[in-house]
Amino acid sequence: MNIPRVRISPAALGVILVLLVIQIYLFETILGAVLDGQRSVLPGAFGISLALTAIALFLAFRSTLTRGSKE
Amino acid sequence: MTWWRRAFPLDLAEESHFSRREFARFLALVSAGFTTGIGFLWMWKKPLEGASDPASGPSGHPVALGMASDLKGGESRLFTFRDAHDACILLRTSKGELKAYRQTCTHLGCAVRFKNERLECPCHLGFFEPDRGFPVQGPPSRPLSAIAIEARADGSLWAVGELPKPTLENLNHRADCPRDKTEVQA
Repeated sequence: MNIPRVRISPAALGVILVLLVIQIYLFETILGAVLDGQRSVLPGAFGISLALTAIALFLAFRSTLTRGSKE
Repeated sequence: MTWWRRAFPLDLAEESHFSRREFARFLALVSAGFTTGIGFLWMWKKPLEGASDPASGPSGHPVALGMASDLKGGESRLFTFRDAHDACILLRTSKGELKAYRQTCTHLGCAVRFKNERLECPCHLGFFEPDRGFPVQGPPSRPLSAIAIEARADGSLWAVGELPKPTLENLNHRADCPRDKTEVQA
C-alpha cells in the first residue's frame, strides 16, 4: 500500500526552533521586568508571544498538508 | 549509512517513533506554554514574591517599626510588611539615614542582611549599597525593593508603602553623580 509521506521541511523546523528561542528570551525578560514592578509591558509582550506561537503552531500543523520528498 | 550511525551503532527500537513533525508540534506547544505563562503573569494581579508593587500606592495598613532613636548607625532590624512571609529590613546608614528594603535578594531570593555598611546576600555573595539598594557586587543585577517609611512626630517609625524601583528613566543622574555636582559648582 502506498502511504503518502507527510513531513515538515527542515526550514520550517528551523524557524520553529528560532521562534522558541525568542520565546524563552522574551519570557525571561518579562519575568525580570515583572519582578522590577514594571507590569505595563505585559500586554505588549503577551501580544508578541501570541503572534510567535500562532506562527509556530501554523508551521507545525501545516506539515500535515505537505507532501515531503521520497526517502 | 550515515557517519554518525557508524560511530554510534545503537539500534533503538523506538527511535523512529518520534518524527520530525511530532518534534515540531512539541516545540510549538512549548511556545504556547510560554505564551500562557505571560498571560498568567498579566492576569495575576498579586505581585510575585519579592517583587515590588508600586501601583498599589500607600499601604492601607501601616506597620509600626518602633522608635527611630532605637536604631543606631550601622544597625538593622527585621520586620514583615505585606504579610507574615514578606520579610523586610530596616537599617540606619552611617550617614544617619533610615532605609527599608524587602529582604529578598533579587538573584535567587535568599535573605539579605546589613553588614559592614552594605546589604549582603550570604548565599552567593551578592552585595547591595544601602542608599538605594543597587547591586554593587556579585550575581544580583536588579536593585532591592524599597519600602517607604515615615517618621511621625512622636519619634515612631512606620512602613507605609512601597517605592518604585530606580530605573534609568526615573534616576536623576545630575543629582546623583558627585562628579557632575562638582562640575556644576565649579
